[in-house]
Parts: sequence; structure tokens; C-alpha cells
Amino acid sequence: MAAINSKDIVLRAIQVLLLVALYIFLYFPILFITYVSFVDNIIWPFPPEWTLKWYARLLSMSDFHVGLKNSVYIGLCTAVLSTLFATSAVIGLLKYRTRWRGPMILLYISPLFVPGLLIGISTLMFNANVLGMSGKLASAIVANTTEAIAFSFLVILAQLVRYDWRMDEAAMVFGARPAQVFREVTLPTIWPAILGAFLVSFILAFNNLEISFYNLGAIPTLPTIAWGTLRHGIKPELFALASVINLLVFSIIAGLFFLIQTGLVRFGYRGE
Amino acid sequence: MAAQLRLTRRDLKAMALSLPGALFLLFFLFLPLVTIVIYSFWRSENYTMIADWNLDNYITLLTTRTYLTFIFRSLVMSLSVSFICLVYSWPVAYFIARYGGRYRLILVLLTAAPFFTGIILRVTAMQQILGPIGVLNMFLTNMGLAPLKLLMYTNYATALGLVYLWIPFMVLAIYLSLLTFDFKLLDAAMINGAGPLRAFIEVTWPLNWIGTCIGLALVFIPTFAATITPKFLGGVNGALYGNILAHQFGATGTWALGSAMGVVLFAISSLFVYIIFKTVNLNRAGYTGKLDGE
Repeated sequence: MAAINSKDIVLRAIQVLLLVALYIFLYFPILFITYVSFVDNIIWPFPPEWTLKWYARLLSMSDFHVGLKNSVYIGLCTAVLSTLFATSAVIGLLKYRTRWRGPMILLYISPLFVPGLLIGISTLMFNANVLGMSGKLASAIVANTTEAIAFSFLVILAQLVRYDWRMDEAAMVFGARPAQVFREVTLPTIWPAILGAFLVSFILAFNNLEISFYNLGAIPTLPTIAWGTLRHGIKPELFALASVINLLVFSIIAGLFFLIQTGLVRFGYRGE
Repeated sequence: MAAQLRLTRRDLKAMALSLPGALFLLFFLFLPLVTIVIYSFWRSENYTMIADWNLDNYITLLTTRTYLTFIFRSLVMSLSVSFICLVYSWPVAYFIARYGGRYRLILVLLTAAPFFTGIILRVTAMQQILGPIGVLNMFLTNMGLAPLKLLMYTNYATALGLVYLWIPFMVLAIYLSLLTFDFKLLDAAMINGAGPLRAFIEVTWPLNWIGTCIGLALVFIPTFAATITPKFLGGVNGALYGNILAHQFGATGTWALGSAMGVVLFAISSLFVYIIFKTVNLNRAGYTGKLDGE
């Protein structure tokens, strides 16, 4: 180890400052609108006059309930589909090494390199003109799933590269059938990765605007309601909506983090 | 012979498990992309496509000054945003990876988490900070100072918004690269007489260039296609290429021209990714500490 001199300390202090500044930059806007969502005087909310009326107004918005239902539905279906595809693919590619592995991995992460706008318009054109299913929840789900597969694939891949497939072989040697091996050996070890992929896909599809927007036409989701509201100037109901969704997202992430930290679940158990 | 047979069976098993998702992607992601390539050579009338093969859309796109201006503006925007993200993310990711210790995971999760709250809500939050009645300007006005015109519905506001949206990707990409980087190599370089700067330029930077390239691609691609951020933060004159592209599918219904714009968007993004990855020297960027001959 190199000795720590004063130059190092200055460098490290700068890095810490940059990190703290980044956190402030990332979180101040989110925390600020959460704060504003609870006050009456939204333009200059100091000192605050507390109120819950923006939340009440959000709840009474007619398309809010429909939008929430649609968003949850799109999120859940997307998460189920993408997790199934990604889990199966990662297991296939890691357990049975093949020369197709490289190209396959590239294919699975390729959606990351296609912008949402392009996925949105191309699936709109394809689903509407070729498949004849425009303005359906199904087309939004299918389009969101393409992007979610890439994220699920990465999440599961990152965890499963450390999985020891000899455990499966051992089970096979003792006479377990392939389905039984998966249910009794593989799944109990890798479920946190699958859960992580499921939640990430759910959150992405739930919050997606650009892909869903083009595929849904007039069907509302929470992000399209937010978009419509924002077009007509700032509406404090939107801050209430954002606060609720942010709370949901951060609870999920915190929950996952807690699971990892406390060792309740262990990623990539190696069979000590 | 037997070994070869077993190999094919392995291949088959791998295929059986990975093919469903691959087919799904080919059918629902790549086929639509091919569709808009085809449509870009067609003609559209009143929200319907007419198979009348021509190059008019591309000719319109590449000879109309306005469209070229929008492409240029978007290019400048996404290059600047990628550059800002790159410069800012390096020291941050470096610090987390090297000195984060057991707090590494939480530190990096904290930078990534905001990404998941959705673009539209994050832009809403940003507008409430930067807009004319945003907290920044209300604060300045209350202090008796002039409002900050620079960040009120300008391209600078869009740039700041895009950095806000996509910097998590850059930090994450560089961080993941640094995770597999062996910092002992730096000590080796120093022992052999390199100063910290030289060690960074000749060891750390080239060995993490692939991760950096992935970060650059992940920031450049969505910013080049940005529509929401310029719409809500850029003001009346802040429209970018993504906005006029989206316009073809909304108000005007000129789907064929819009498809051509999509193809051009994809082409430029791919060209950027291609150029970036051309700079990767596999001999210098490959496996940490396992290079021979150097």
C-alpha cells in the first residue's frame, strides 16, 4: 500500500465532495416536490402551511384509478414475462456452455441500446399496421417486455455467474429429475435474483412513458396522466402522485437492500 | 464422437432455454425496427401507409435545413451531456469502488435508485426547481436578486435535466468496470516509478475504457432520442430532434417521414457506438493483470 500523503487526502476529499454533491443533485428535486405536495402555498412554500388537499384531489381525479390499475397491470404482466424469459435464458447460457453464448448475451442486452422513443414508434407501427392491435394494453405490455428483458437478464446474470452448477449435477447423480433439480436445488438458491429482476421490470414498466404512450392511444396510465397534467402547467396533484410513486420505488429498493444486507438471502451460494 | 454428441446435446439444452426470449426479442423488437425501415421508403396519407417505394422521405429529411439543424442540435446536446456525465462520474465511481469498503453497495445503489422513479416524474421535479416559479428562481427573487434566466426554459436547462436523468447509468457502468479492476496494478506502476497521474492515464483509464464506453453509449443513446426533457425544460425554442420525430406520429400523422427519422436516429446512434468501440484496444483493455508481453 502506498503511504497516504496530503495530496491523496486532498484528492479523496474532492471525490467525497463530488459524491455528496451528486446525491444532493439527485435527491433534492425528489425530496423538494415531496415536501411541496404537503403544503398549501406551493409557489413559495416557506413557512409551510400544511395540507393534504393535493392528495385528496389526486384521489378524486377520475382517470387516476383507471391509470393506476392499467399501470399495475402493465407492470405485472411485463415483469412476469421478462423474468420468465430472462431466467430461462441465463440458466440455459450459464449451465450449458455453448458457442452461441456470446451472440445470445449480446441479443439479450441489445434492447438497452435502443432508445425508448424508437421502441415506442416502431412497435406502434408494427402492432398497428402489421398485427392489427393498436391501442391495446397487450401491445404496451409486449413492447415494455422487450426493454425489461434486457434489465432482467443483466440482474439475473450478475448473480448467477457465481452459482455453482455442480450442485445441480450432484442432485442429478443422486437421481433427481431435471424439474426436481430446478425446484429443489436451483430455485431456492437463485430466487433473490429472480425477485430482483421481477421488481426491476415491474418498476420500469409501471413508470414507462415513452414506450407505453405510443402503444396505448387514449388508454391512461399513471405516467401518461402525469404527462397530460404537466402539459397544462404545474399541477400540485402531480407532486402528490410523484411522492407516492417515489415512496413505492424507494421502499422496494430499500427492501431488496435490507434482504441482501441482513443475509436473509444470499446471492450465489457456493455450497460452502 | 461421444464427446461431440454430448456437446450438441448441451447446445440443444442451452438453445431450448434461451430461445424463447430470443425469439420474443426478434419478433417484438427487431421485426418492428425492420418494419420502420421498410415504411421509411413508403408514403403515408391520413394515418395509413401506402406501399409506394420511394426515397422522398430521406430526400426531405436530408435537404430540409430545419431537420438538419435539429439533428445537429441534438448531436451537440447529447455529446455535451455524455461528456459532462463522463467527467463527473469518473471520480465518483472511482471513490465508491476503491474506498467504499462495505458501504460500496449502498453508495452505488443511492446513485442508481432515482433512475427507477420514472422519467416524467423526475422531469416534473426538475421543472419545479428550475422553472420560472421553481424554487431556485423564487429564492433568488425573494433575496432581491435577478432570476437565473440561463436555466429557465433554455437548452442549458435541458442539458442539466438530461444529466440528471442519465448520470446514474454512467456511474454504474464505470463502477462495475472498476469492481473487476485490480487496484494492486496501480501500486505496481507506482513502485516502478510512475506518478499517480501517469499511473491513472496508463493503467486505470485504458483498463476501464470498455466500461466507460458502455456508459457513454448508455447515456448518448437515450439523450439523442430525448423528447420529454426538452419539451418540459427546454421551452418554446428548445425542441430537439426527438420532438420533431415524435411530432410525426402525433399531430401530423406523417408516419412514413417519421419512420425515416427513426431510421436516421438509429443510424446516428449506432455510428456513435461504433466509433466509440473502435477505440477499444483489446490488448490493453482485456483481462486485468493477465496480459502477457506488457
